[in-house]
Amino acid sequence: MKTMRVIYEDGGHKWHAIVRDPNRPHYLIDTNEYLVVAGDDAILVDPGGSEVFPAVFSALSTQFDPRKIGKLFASHQDPDIISSLSMWIEFNPDIKCYLSWLWSSFVPHFGGTKETFIDIPDKGMDIVVGGQRLQAIPAHYLHSSGNFHLYDPKAKILFSGDVGAALLPAGEDGMFVENFDRHIRHAEAFHRRWMGSERAKRDWCSRVSQLDIDMLCPQHGAIYRGADVKRFIDWFAHLDVGVIHG
Amino acid sequence: MTSGEGRDSGRELRRIVRINEEIKTVVKTAYRINLMAMNAIFLAKRAGQSALGFGVLSNELRRFATELEQQMIALGQATSGSVVTVTAMVKEAHVVRMLERARAECDGRGRDALDALLRRHRETTLTDRRDQVAALNRNLAMMIESTARLVEMGGVLARSAKIEAAYGGGFSQSLKQVSSDFEGTIGEIRKSLDSLGKFRLREFAA
Repeated sequence: MKTMRVIYEDGGHKWHAIVRDPNRPHYLIDTNEYLVVAGDDAILVDPGGSEVFPAVFSALSTQFDPRKIGKLFASHQDPDIISSLSMWIEFNPDIKCYLSWLWSSFVPHFGGTKETFIDIPDKGMDIVVGGQRLQAIPAHYLHSSGNFHLYDPKAKILFSGDVGAALLPAGEDGMFVENFDRHIRHAEAFHRRWMGSERAKRDWCSRVSQLDIDMLCPQHGAIYRGADVKRFIDWFAHLDVGVIHG
Repeated sequence: MTSGEGRDSGRELRRIVRINEEIKTVVKTAYRINLMAMNAIFLAKRAGQSALGFGVLSNELRRFATELEQQMIALGQATSGSVVTVTAMVKEAHVVRMLERARAECDGRGRDALDALLRRHRETTLTDRRDQVAALNRNLAMMIESTARLVEMGGVLARSAKIEAAYGGGFSQSLKQVSSDFEGTIGEIRKSLDSLGKFRLREFAA
């Protein structure tokens, strides 16, 4: 089973991280899921693949009633992001999934109907959860051609999808980045290969530099906090991306 | 549906593939009968007055081959319809397998929620699915039965052709050979139909 930990709390407004399953088969990439709760409303951010659904569901239900999840946010279309969709629909047939308009006819192959999806336009949109207004921030081509991150201005948390992701070896897989220089070695090859556009990368760095961010939460690997957030954005801005070797 | 039944549904899909292959074999054989009958008609024409009866039977065998081909195409379409149902079962089996795995890892309210969901699955989705499978089985059985009757008629025609061949005068030997070929080929179709007749989609129990 995965572990669910609160990473931000202010009254009824909470961010939970669902991380690290010791029983995960080695052939499945490790993923982080995030649950944002605001009052009675909740959105599950990058709910994960169908194979990890049991681990995510059981961790989540230790602290939260899964039937109360009315919204899903999918940063993009990959199977490790959203192939569990049909399972979440089992729980709540009226669940809404926020997703780039670009994938609105692709992701229904994982489940759902026209009514399930709320298209996010290219420029992004606000998503209201409880009383909180979250922002879908464009991150197109990083790595998917229709890609969004999710920013919570009150919690000052940016969910950054695959940006900031690291493939951590056993023993160095803590939930937070503790030593940036040591950590970033595990992120470098991933970003060079998966992030295909130099221009999209520059745009993203410039966009998120203007946001007030305390925590940058990727879908794989560890969470960046405090000064490591800016350190990461600077590192990424200078990284040569879209290359296989190098 | 349990995960074991999920494996069953995978097996059902493989069985449908096998049945489709059998249908294709019969369609090919029907086409062969059609060609054979056409040759037999020419042969009867050459034999003239003494092979008039053989010619009529060859015409009937051609008609039989065409009708058989059409019935087999309809049977193929019906089995394609069962692929839709079985695919839905495979999909449902996957969902149920994941829900069961989650249930094994859960306790408290998570487990309660999963119990309720699995119960609902058994009561509604699986009942609907069982009804669909039963209807498909009935339809397939009816079609196979009607094809079997047609093949029986083909067998009678082939036997009659054999008798008529005896009156073929100088062509008698060739006509006998052709009518024996008819009989053998219809025997092959009968074997295929026997194996098709054993086919039933399994009804998955909750």
